[in-house]
Amino acid sequence: MTGQANITPVVVRLKLSLLRNGLKQSGGRRAAYVVSAVIVVLFGALQLLGLIALHGNDHALSVVALLVAVLALGWAVMPLFFPSGDETLDPTRLVMLPLRPRPLVRALLMASLVGFGPLFTLLLLIGSVIAVAHGGAAYAVGVVAVVLALLVCVALARAVAAANIRLLTSRKGRDLAVLSGLVIAIGAQLVNFGAQRLGSSGLSQLDPVADVLKWVPPASAVGAVDSVSEGSYGVAVAQLALSAVALYALIAVWSRHLTKLMTAPDGSTLQAATDRPTTRERTSGGLARLLPAGRTGTVMERSLRYIWRDPKTKAAWVTSLAIGLIVPVFNALQGTGSIYFACFAAGMLGIQMYNQFGQDTSAFWMVATTISSAHDAYVELRARALALLVITLPYTTLVTVLTTAMLDDWPRLPQALGLSLALLGAMMATGAWTSARFPYSIPQEGYKNVVPGQTGLAWISIFGGMVSAALLCSPVIAAAIWAGIAKNGDDWAWLLLPFGAAYGTTLTWTGLHLAAPRTAARLPEILTAVSKG
Amino acid sequence: MTEGNEVAAAAVRVRGLWKRFGQQIAVAGIDLDLPAGKFIGLVGPNGAGKTTTLSMVTGLLRPDQGSVEVVGQDVWRDPAAVKARIGVLPEGLRFFERLSGRELLGYSGRLRGLPGAEVDKRATQLLDVLDLAGAQHKLVVDYSTGMRKKIGLAAALLHNPEVLFLDEPFEGVDPVSAQTIRGVLERYTASGATVVFSSHVMELVESLCDWVAVMAAGRIRAHGPLAEVRGEAASLQQAFLELVGAGGRDAGSDLDWLGGGAR
Repeated sequence: MTGQANITPVVVRLKLSLLRNGLKQSGGRRAAYVVSAVIVVLFGALQLLGLIALHGNDHALSVVALLVAVLALGWAVMPLFFPSGDETLDPTRLVMLPLRPRPLVRALLMASLVGFGPLFTLLLLIGSVIAVAHGGAAYAVGVVAVVLALLVCVALARAVAAANIRLLTSRKGRDLAVLSGLVIAIGAQLVNFGAQRLGSSGLSQLDPVADVLKWVPPASAVGAVDSVSEGSYGVAVAQLALSAVALYALIAVWSRHLTKLMTAPDGSTLQAATDRPTTRERTSGGLARLLPAGRTGTVMERSLRYIWRDPKTKAAWVTSLAIGLIVPVFNALQGTGSIYFACFAAGMLGIQMYNQFGQDTSAFWMVATTISSAHDAYVELRARALALLVITLPYTTLVTVLTTAMLDDWPRLPQALGLSLALLGAMMATGAWTSARFPYSIPQEGYKNVVPGQTGLAWISIFGGMVSAALLCSPVIAAAIWAGIAKNGDDWAWLLLPFGAAYGTTLTWTGLHLAAPRTAARLPEILTAVSKG
Repeated sequence: MTEGNEVAAAAVRVRGLWKRFGQQIAVAGIDLDLPAGKFIGLVGPNGAGKTTTLSMVTGLLRPDQGSVEVVGQDVWRDPAAVKARIGVLPEGLRFFERLSGRELLGYSGRLRGLPGAEVDKRATQLLDVLDLAGAQHKLVVDYSTGMRKKIGLAAALLHNPEVLFLDEPFEGVDPVSAQTIRGVLERYTASGATVVFSSHVMELVESLCDWVAVMAAGRIRAHGPLAEVRGEAASLQQAFLELVGAGGRDAGSDLDWLGGGAR
């Protein structure tokens, strides 16, 4: 084939052109890019200054080791969120070219060093080294450590991405990948609670963690700088070597995946070859028999199926269910809880009513061709609301009862439950209305939940809707407050349960009736709005 | 075929239809009458406005201006009445992909208000005829292009519409599936129903249709019975190239290095 020309500069230039052309496409994208660039640089510079200020602090190593470890974790997770963020790194686009793995990996690694992510990492790593380095030898090792740590981060991201692209070629894998983002979202909640704990009891809590982390690449590279500063050169060499070995291993893994990717058939080919005549029978048995006949049952059945089968919908549901439970229960566990946090479950689950038609994607045309009157639209929306309520009603009740049990605050159960039900009703009402008025597309691929250009619409829809829902609930909230402060308000507080339930039902009913004519009148506009994914 | 004299009842009547997307004019004032009971081809190069036109005719995209009547009813004044009487296979629009083929048919039939037992009976027959019986329990997302077109066609035929609109029904479809689709469509028109389909494959249009409309750059360039539009030209392809002004382009002369083995 061709001579061993160095392809690294070509790939780097390719990346720059792709970046430039991407920005040329739209002004909004350009603005977003500039803003995020400024934020990254500012934030990175601030972190740098903060780390320099940490120089000489007793716990500097603890902070730095943890920081670098978190940074590396971020790099490992990032490709899961932005799998298509970097086209140069999608090796499936390079399969036609006569490239050998070794130069290709080198070129791709260099190309992935271009960007704001690596710049931010670089700033943080430099700051980390300055924070722990004392003396010339330490700074010299620091230079090596920064380069090594940066390369480990980037290689880690690439290795994870390559492993995932392989997974992403099959539909099941794609579904799974969407869900893996969710683990992170819920993990972030847990981290949040951990950080709150840390805030109350000081940095010294980090020391045992750092003792381990300073041996884990890429944090071990920074650990080496600290070891040199303290004169333990042997330890430093071992730590640096660990990072170097990790880098080598990651590149090897990445390279192997890359080779496999570029030569193996993708999932679709494999599937066609082993096509079994009968897959698992999907009968509409139990579920369908329990549901009412006609449009209501048909629509409910599909909505419920989609919660399980559509990865985007599933991810949204699991997030809502998890956060709706975590927030009240964890707060109760920490002793900072209030029974009213239980309303979180209603609020989170109510969000699922928003952008109903966006969840259909352009398949909404199948619905649009069958809606011929405001009544059809009403039945359609009501069925979707009912499908949601099948899950949300028991769940909200369960979370409220659970929170009450943990706080042992049984007298206030009726009003908390009443408030939850009113909120759920308000979310259903505003959700139905915004579904009709502010529909937007949910892209089926990748992790974004809004198509570029419709972000504003999504914000109006969700946040406008939530604020309205809160306002709509104000009579119930006012009644709950009254019950709390009035002299014998407690005697009447149980009334909030029937009041909240009735109020929520009325709101839902009204919301659906207001949304239906709008839906029926705007079918083509809704279809256009949800077909951009 | 019945020459020239267009049957009194037009299946589709379009008057002054316009659609702009920002600066771009997709459809620039179309007037068109499509006769009932015919196999009608809407042909044109990519970007001619075929899909936009079909979307507006079927009530899926609101026109900027103009009126559309299908089987005598104004699509945009009373979409309900029209929707019940037409079937649509749109291009580029998704189905509910996380339903199996059978579930998809059951869902759309019931949404159209057909009784459940009848929907299931028709679905079984359509799945059989369209060779989808083996894949009826697979999710649509796992279907190949040909299977998707076939399940889309089944969903469009389920309620026995009077007019069927198909946007590029043969695009990306393998020859076996194409033959199946063809067979079903021919049987359907033989019973007096109207099929309107868009395509840029002239051979196909020529062999299937008895009436064609040629579109280019958002306008109708010619329309009428196939023989009339073809005129003196040897084939519809030739007539089409002349109509859209792309005839006699020679691509060969500048590629003298191509072929022959040397790099």
